[in-house]
This record gives sequence, C-alpha cells and structure tokens, in this order.
Amino acid sequence: MKGEAAVVLGVGVDELVAAHYLARAGYAVTLVSERAEAIGDLLEPGWIPPGVVRDLDLARYGLRVEQQDPWAVVMREDIALELSVDMAASVEAISKLSAADARMWPEFCRRLHALAGALQVLYTAPPPDPLARTRRGFMQLARSAVRVRRLGRRGMEDLMRVIPMSAADFLDEWFENDVLKGVLGGVGVMHLCQGPRSSGTAFNLLHHHVGSPPGVFRPSLSNIRAALAQRRGLDVLIAVPARIEVKKGRATGVVLKNGETLPASVVVSGLAPARTLLELCDPGWLDPALVRAVRNVRSRGPAAKISLVLDRDPRFTTLVVAPSLDYLERAYDAVKYGRTSGQPYIEVVSLGAEAAGRYRVQLHVQYVPHALKEGVWDTAQSERLARAVIARVSEDVPGFQSWVIEQHVLTPDDLQHIHGFPQGQHYHAEMGLDQILWMRPTPQLASYRTPIDGLYLCGPAMHPGGGIAGAAGANAASVILGDRA
Amino acid sequence: MSTKYDAIVIGAGHNGLVCAAYLARAGRRVLVVERSNYIGGAARSEEVFPGYRFSVFSYVVSLLRPEIIRDLELPRHGLHILPLESTLTPLADGDYLAQWSDHDQNRRELARHSARDAEAYDEFGTLMYRMARAVKPFLAMTPPDPASWSLRELKGLGRVGSSLRELGPAQFHALHKLLTMSAADYLEEWFETEALKATKSASGIIGTFQGPRSPGTAYVLLHHYMGEIDGVFRAWGFAKGGNGSVSAAIAAAARGFGAEIRTGAGVERVIVRNGRATGVALESGEEIKAPVVVSGADPRRTFMQLVGVEHLPSEFATAINRFKFRGSSGKVNLALSELPSFACSPGNGPHLRGAISISPSVDYLERAYDDAKYGEVSREPYMDIVIPSMIDPSMAPPGQHVMSIFVQYVPYDVNGGWTDEKRDAFGDTVIDTLAQYAPNIRSAILHRQVITPADIERMVGLSEGNIFQGELALQQMFFMRPVPGWAKYKTPIEGLYQCGAGTHPGGGVMGASGRNAAFSILKVAP
Repeated sequence: MKGEAAVVLGVGVDELVAAHYLARAGYAVTLVSERAEAIGDLLEPGWIPPGVVRDLDLARYGLRVEQQDPWAVVMREDIALELSVDMAASVEAISKLSAADARMWPEFCRRLHALAGALQVLYTAPPPDPLARTRRGFMQLARSAVRVRRLGRRGMEDLMRVIPMSAADFLDEWFENDVLKGVLGGVGVMHLCQGPRSSGTAFNLLHHHVGSPPGVFRPSLSNIRAALAQRRGLDVLIAVPARIEVKKGRATGVVLKNGETLPASVVVSGLAPARTLLELCDPGWLDPALVRAVRNVRSRGPAAKISLVLDRDPRFTTLVVAPSLDYLERAYDAVKYGRTSGQPYIEVVSLGAEAAGRYRVQLHVQYVPHALKEGVWDTAQSERLARAVIARVSEDVPGFQSWVIEQHVLTPDDLQHIHGFPQGQHYHAEMGLDQILWMRPTPQLASYRTPIDGLYLCGPAMHPGGGIAGAAGANAASVILGDRA
Repeated sequence: MSTKYDAIVIGAGHNGLVCAAYLARAGRRVLVVERSNYIGGAARSEEVFPGYRFSVFSYVVSLLRPEIIRDLELPRHGLHILPLESTLTPLADGDYLAQWSDHDQNRRELARHSARDAEAYDEFGTLMYRMARAVKPFLAMTPPDPASWSLRELKGLGRVGSSLRELGPAQFHALHKLLTMSAADYLEEWFETEALKATKSASGIIGTFQGPRSPGTAYVLLHHYMGEIDGVFRAWGFAKGGNGSVSAAIAAAARGFGAEIRTGAGVERVIVRNGRATGVALESGEEIKAPVVVSGADPRRTFMQLVGVEHLPSEFATAINRFKFRGSSGKVNLALSELPSFACSPGNGPHLRGAISISPSVDYLERAYDDAKYGEVSREPYMDIVIPSMIDPSMAPPGQHVMSIFVQYVPYDVNGGWTDEKRDAFGDTVIDTLAQYAPNIRSAILHRQVITPADIERMVGLSEGNIFQGELALQQMFFMRPVPGWAKYKTPIEGLYQCGAGTHPGGGVMGASGRNAAFSILKVAP
C-alpha cells in the first residue's frame, strides 16, 4: 500500500482525521476541499476521542481543548443559574432554585456519566452489527454486549429506559425546576427536529454528554481543525468534485469540475451520503433499495447559526435561552408547520476577544425551518430572524442589542448552500434512534463501506455521528486499513 | 389454611377472564371478583339508552389472539365476529379517500389519488404483513430479564436474540425503524397522498399521548396491523352484540371450566402477610383466601391502591410511580334517528358499514396533539367512527342507529380539571367537527353519551383513563412492562401476579397478557 493514492472529499474534522490516518499508514493523500476556508484558531464544539489525539499526536500541533466553565448560564436580567464543571458549585447554584433538585443533581450526573461511559466505548469503534455473521463481527457484538452488561442491573435498566425516552419525561422524573430542565432539555433537542417531549431526545442528551466530565452536558471546544492543518502529510486541493470514477465496481479516482482527474485506489467521502452516492456516483452501481434508503435519510436542519461581534465582553461563557421544557416544545411546534419559532431556543457561546473592542459570540438558534411555509429565505428574512433573536437575548441580557457591531446569519438554507449540510442539518443525518449505531446513516452503509469497492464514507452522517470530533473519521480509517491490509 | 379457591382474579376485564379461563382449564378452582355489575371491563356492551346498545368503550375486535379463540372455543360460547370492510376518510375539499378490504377496489381508489401510492401499497402491505408475523411470536412470550445472569434468563435472551437475527437484514432493519420512527416519517418513505398517510398514522397514535410526528408511533402502527380474525391478518371486525359479547364468551368459557365470577364485589385490598399475598378483602368487609391472587387491574391501581406502598420494595414503588398513563382519548356514543349523510359521499352506502376516519392530513392530527400537549381538548380532534347498527341491526330499534366515536386527543389532565361543563363542551366539539363532514348529524341525534378519560377511570378503573393500562411507549414495553425486572407477570409480593394490559404485550382486546400470565402461574405452581 505504500505510496498508493487516496482521495478524501470534504474538509470537516472527520475527513481531516481520516486523511491523516491514511497518510500515516503510507497513502499519498489528496484532500479535496470545495471551499478555501480560513481555519484560523476557531474553536468548535465536539469531544475528541483520546485515541485520535494520541495517534495523530495532536498535542504537538498545538491542540487546545477548552471546557467552558460555567458551561451553561441562564440569565434573567441577573444570573439565574450557572452550571459549572465543579459539582459542588453546581449543587450550590441549583439549591437557590430548588433544594430538591440540588439534592438529586450529583446522583443524576453520576448515573448519566456511567451510561455515557458505555456509549464512549461504542463510539470509538465501528458500530456493532447485531446481524454479524463473521467471527470478528460477532466478537465485536459480544464485546459491546458485555460492556453494556457490566453496567450492572441498575445501569442496564437505566440505559434501556433512557434511550427511548423523551427528555421531558426523563427530566421530569428527576427534577422540578423549569430553568434547570430547560437547560438540559435544550441539549436533548440539539440539532434534532424534535421537541423535548419526543421519544429519543433523552438519548440525544446522553449523546452530547459523551466524553465530558460528570455534570457537564456540553461538549468541550477545541481548535482541532487548526491542529490537524498544522500536521503535515496531506495535499490539499481547493476544487469541486464532479464525479467518482468507477470501473468494474471499483472506485478508481475522482474527476474534478475543472476536468482534472485524481486517480486513487481509495476514495473517502465526508460529504453527505446522498451527495456522494446519488450525485457523484453513477446510481447504476447501486441497488434500488439502497438508493431509496439513501434518499430517505432524514436530515431536517432545524437550526440557524448567527455570528455576532460585540463591542464588549458579554461576561458569560455560554448563555442558554430555554426557560422551560414547554418553552422548547412550543418553539418546536412552529417548525412542524414550516415557521420559525417566535420564541426560539438560543445558545450564545462566547468565543472571546478577537481584537480590542471586538468580542465574538456564536448563536445557535433552534427551531428555524429549512423550507419556509410562506416565502423563501432571502436577506430580508435572515435579517428579520437576526433581529428577533437578538431582541430575545436582550430580554434576558439587558442592553445586548446595543452591543452588536457586526452580524452574520446562516439559515438552514445557507448552511446547505455554503457548507453542504443537507437541508441545513449540521450532523448530515438527524441523530434519531432510527439513524444511530448500525442504522447510521442506513444499515447498508453503517460499516463505512459502500457497494463500490474502494469507496468509503466518513463524516458526521456516519457512526457515531455529529457533535463528536473525528471519531467517524478514525473509525472509517480503521475499516479501510483493515480491508486493505 | 384450607381455602375454597386456588386462585382469585381481581377484575373481570377480558384479560382477567382469559387468565381465569386458562387457570380453570388446568383444573384450578378460580374465583373472579369484579367491582362493577358488568363483566368485561372496558370490553362491555350496555343498553345506555332504552333500545340502543353500545360497545361503551372499546368498539372493534381484531387483536384477540386466535389461539385464545381456539383454546377457549369462543365461537361455541357465542362469539361471532362480523367483518369491517372499509375506512372512509372525508376530506376538506369535498372529496374522500376510501380504503377497502377488497384488493382491486382499494387499488382503483388509491390510484385515483396517486398512481405511485397505488403501486407502493402492495409492497408496503407485504412488508407490514411480514413484520407483523415476525413480531407475533414475541406477543405470546414471557419476556426474559436481560439483566439477570441466571442460565435460564440468558437462554431466553439468546432465543430472543437468535429469532431477531433470523429475521434477516431487510426485516430486522425494518423492525428497528418501526420501533424507533414516527408514524408520519415512516409513511412518508412510502406514500405521498396526505389523507392516506394521515389515516394510517392515526392508527399509530391511538391510545398514546404522542403526535403522528413523535418517534415511537410507527410501532403502534404495527401493533394495529397485527389484527387478525380467523387467521386473516389486518382484518377488523365487530363482535355481534357489541364488544361485551367477547367478554361474555370468555366468561362463559371460564364458567364452563368451573370458574366462578362474582360481580358487584369490589376488592378493597390484597391481603399481604409476611410478604405473601394470602387473599383479598372485599369492600363489603368479606375476606376471601387463596394462595394465588392475580390482578387484572393496572399496575398503579394494583400496587398503590390494592397492595399498598408499605408492602413494596422502595425501588419497585418508585418504578411503578413513574409508569406513564396519560389517557388521551375519549368516546362519544350517539343514538341516531337516521344515518349520517357525508357531504363527500351522500346517503347510505357501503362506506357506512366500515370505519369513518376524521384524519384529513398529518398536520391536522399533529395540531390536534399540539392542543392536548398544553392541556386542552383538540379543537379539531381525530375521530374514528363506526356505526355498529349498520352491521348488527340488533344494536338499535328498526330504522335507527347507534354511532360510536372514538376521539383523540382528550387529555386526562385537562387544564382546570374535568367538570360537567367541560364534558359537554368536549361533546359539542366532537359534534361540531363531525357536522363539518356530515351536516345532518345534529338533527339526527336522539341521545348522546360523552366519556372523558376521567370518566373511563371512574367507570372502568383504568388509571388516568389510559385504554392500554399504561402507554405503549418503547420504555414501557417487553421486558420493561410495567417495570424492568418485573415483566414476568410476577410481583415482589409472593403469590401475587398481574395479568392486565399493563403487562407485556399490552393493550387492545387481545387477551395475550391474561394468557401469558396464566401460563406463568401454572409453571410456578403446577
């Protein structure tokens, strides 16, 4: 394999990770990025599996991981709740809202952390296949089963109950305070086109907890992209792929829009599965059932991103606007009928000072439909959205609107066109219970392989999914290297 | 301790009766005690207004297990099921969508709306039929305990595992999707006709407090596909004489095997001594002893009311307390002077012999759910309407009719609580909505009975009026129904068993819980 050519499509963290793993194993890797992206020292959320940090020696390339502390701040003119990394500090803060909830908090955190630990093991390997017929597949399945059983009776029962539950039902079992439940419920619906009363949202809460310390339900931030860019060994090409060349059922390279052909014995795509398989490949290579399954991958992007520059330090780490579970549920109601939430769920992440007097904050706004029932996304609609969101934040943080000196809005429609997120879905495929583990993104593709020899998928649409930095890339690389050993 | 009975069954609902019949068939001396003066629980017929008979609560039959019909020889005991041949969905624009049990007729009608859907329908039907068959063996199974290390449980778990693996990829993955997807999303993958998606997804929301877009509702869709009459899948029907006749036939079979049934005998509590159930104390003060007590009541009523929290391990009590009920459906029963005439298909016709579903679009159902989420009755509810007198004329005086309207969503926890005014307002909402499609309905009404979830709780004893004795949500199914670790019909009280729909496999006039429970009991005390 030494010197064999590999082409990696996409410039997400997973693609970068997969590319570096292949380069490390001796492939000559070309990374095809559709856009020249100024990576800078941008911090983005996502737990990085320790194996990736170790294997790619990221510490040496300036990897910086930041755990925001407090990781959630709720304001109501003044600070209403701060959840910190330090358990005692959170308990203290919660006790001002509810003594009962403060008593429950440590046990709640301990139980969920145990479950997240089991998921962590599942996440750092290709998904187990319950139908595995090979010895290796069966052993992996058995290992997963043993890991789950090691949780003990209480842990297993917790896991089996929590996975299908709604965040609302689950949180109601533990807590009484709306503010606390709102913060956690928000994590449960993160990037999901579902409300907190929908089944599977408790799992989404757990998913976003994997890799974090007990009591922290928000992935850490890191500059992983910058660190990966520092690491040498890749050819990076700014170009748009036109098609993946297939001969006799084998991928032989990638043809670019400019007519150039990149021959390769391995093609790895981090683009959305529908783009990779239905647009870049000749669908003639695919089974009609697979074509249908790929078309049916659910990827409704429910969120907009707004980037603001403020003229002063906002003095919070991550502000959460989600005062109750009902607030979140009502916000969701709107998007079901193609409307933007009048009172959306908002998270404002403070990214620090860019320069004197310029403080960048990133807003996650949910629910915003990809396709509006009335009208289309244009500048006027985007601006209306930004105005409404800034006004809503100002209700909690007085004066906020007067601090804004720059704004940049990405609606789900923009996220599709600029970042290639299908329907604006940040994770390429929604993290619904029917699209996780061996079902992600479809059962036929869950092993990162495709029906075309030499063509593999990585990216957030693959197990373990979005919000986790590089795991899908590392898992895909391990499958590729295993296949070709 | 010499007693007259080997087992006492609490509640003469259909599951209690099935359990009693199987125990009696095995030679046990069984007594069934029932609080009300009726047998059947929620499967009862009643002459609510003189001359008009109603299946007051549950109103169709389909899920009743064929092995029960066979084992208990129910036809010999008077069970006669008349098929329900169609479903009509009236639409807002004056058109309609009809679904017929006749394959060609159904295909023609569907093609009128969408050639693609007519094409997809057969494939969909075949898959659902296979899925229902694949799931069937699980219904008759006592769920294994996945957290146990005992060899027997591991073997049971292994059997479940291998039967799942034997399904093969296509069906295994389809099953995974059915268990985890929303009915609307699942149907979206197959069909484009809005009314078809809505009417099919409606069967996914029945009895749940979820909307058609809520994940988990696709499974309930399958649950309703398991309907089977005389071995014919997907067939629904009426019991001649109303659903009370199902209970009457089971009761007759039980009596035939020697079981005794006492109505008007409400149980005050289960007598527990040293962690053992030794009998029941009736509301009259009478105490009846038996080494085995089987409760057909739902888990909350059984443990929190009849047993008492003081006899329960605290973890178990916590788990029972968090078992979700959330009744979401109501019933309106009407006595009619004439048939309703639907604007989309005026006058009498074969469509009135089937079900009429007010479910014009998925958004319509979802909006109905939205209202209920925040504690209100749906302003425009989903309704499943049947006119039993069209098929069984003995239900009403000649020329007149009875109509049964199943309504969702009607929250148990309505804002401000249920009052007589609220009940009337709910009844009016139903009639107003129906009148949009059948304008003559108002003038045809002779009598009206309106039943809220609070009424169901009061009249039948189902907690929060949940028609399935507890939500059929994934975290409350199979080895987690009603509580993880206690899904084998046994309870932490020795000698006390459960046989209601609050145990695996759950609701619908199915009888499987009662049958499985009886086998569990016979295995322990052969």
